[in-house]
Amino acid sequence: MWLVLPLLGLIIGAYLGSAVTFQLPAVYLKYMSIAVLASLDSVFGGIKAILEEKFDGTILLTGFFSNALLAALLTYLGDRLGVDLYYAAIFAFGVRLFHNLATIRHYCLLSFRKKRSMRQEYDGMRHGEYDE
Amino acid sequence: MRKAIPTFLIICILTGFLLAFQFTTQNKNASFNAVSQRNNNLITIIHDLEKEIANQEDQIEAMRAQLNDLQSTHSKGKLQDLQTTLAKAKVEAGLTPVVGKGIIITIDDNQEGMKANPNDDPNKYIVHDEHLLNLVNELRIGSAEAIAINGHRLITTSEIRCVGNLINVDMSRVAPPYEIRAIGSPKLMIESISMGKLAELENDNYPITIEESEHLVIPAYRGDLQFKYTNKS
Repeated sequence: MWLVLPLLGLIIGAYLGSAVTFQLPAVYLKYMSIAVLASLDSVFGGIKAILEEKFDGTILLTGFFSNALLAALLTYLGDRLGVDLYYAAIFAFGVRLFHNLATIRHYCLLSFRKKRSMRQEYDGMRHGEYDE
Repeated sequence: MRKAIPTFLIICILTGFLLAFQFTTQNKNASFNAVSQRNNNLITIIHDLEKEIANQEDQIEAMRAQLNDLQSTHSKGKLQDLQTTLAKAKVEAGLTPVVGKGIIITIDDNQEGMKANPNDDPNKYIVHDEHLLNLVNELRIGSAEAIAINGHRLITTSEIRCVGNLINVDMSRVAPPYEIRAIGSPKLMIESISMGKLAELENDNYPITIEESEHLVIPAYRGDLQFKYTNKS
């Protein structure tokens, strides 16, 4: 049931986002892309935490904002210094995305296998009963 | 896990919002780029300047007509002689509209050839400034007395120059099909062209026609004519 939740949230957000007609000046496009990455990272991080049953809303929210702020700071600094420091943020977020996705996948596969083997055990037991 | 739902929903909505927003901005940016906007600005500037030039040319023409009127009103004795010389000189310089026997050459881009070979270099199929220059040269060899390209009178200082995919004649853009009008002996001019580049142009499949005309009107030179550095020796 909870898997529907992020999808639902994404759809609501997408609807709101496409309804907005406000246009951002081209200078801030970099910051926007960083923000998108940071929030995507948070979503995956959240899913991972839920699966591991370690979810803490405050940590997730503060993590999202501090990550976004640091990334924005790096971008700004990079603009001032003439070094594309925002690649560092993109890289970090990208790596984390993959990492989180891998953890989610591992977890799902493992729990699926566990369930199956449990069911087989259970079936085996029932068959055993009938056999005897 | 119940506690996770509101926070997680907020994050999800935020992500969806940012994604959609970024997506729409990127889409808009693809169709709206700075270079094309700058080009549009330049185009409007060019159009405005062209309008201004046309206005000023009209003004020049009006003032010339006024001057002619003034000159023709007071004419006595020696002054009259001078004025006839002046009038003749003006006709020769191209400052008055002229009429006479001559030919009209029409030449267009080889559009059929371009359509037939869309992958080919389009330069092989469009009329270039050199083509017009050659034709004008040959008309002059055939003793043409007055020449105009698409209504732009050629005078001694006129230039024919390539500007991108158009041609400038006397600083004004002309577009194909090009119509070259020339007053002079039709026989001589046609002979001169036929001996020159006509065969080459026909070989390259440019649509080109030559007509003779008994009553050809050629407009006056519309630009300004000032000699700042040239003095009588």
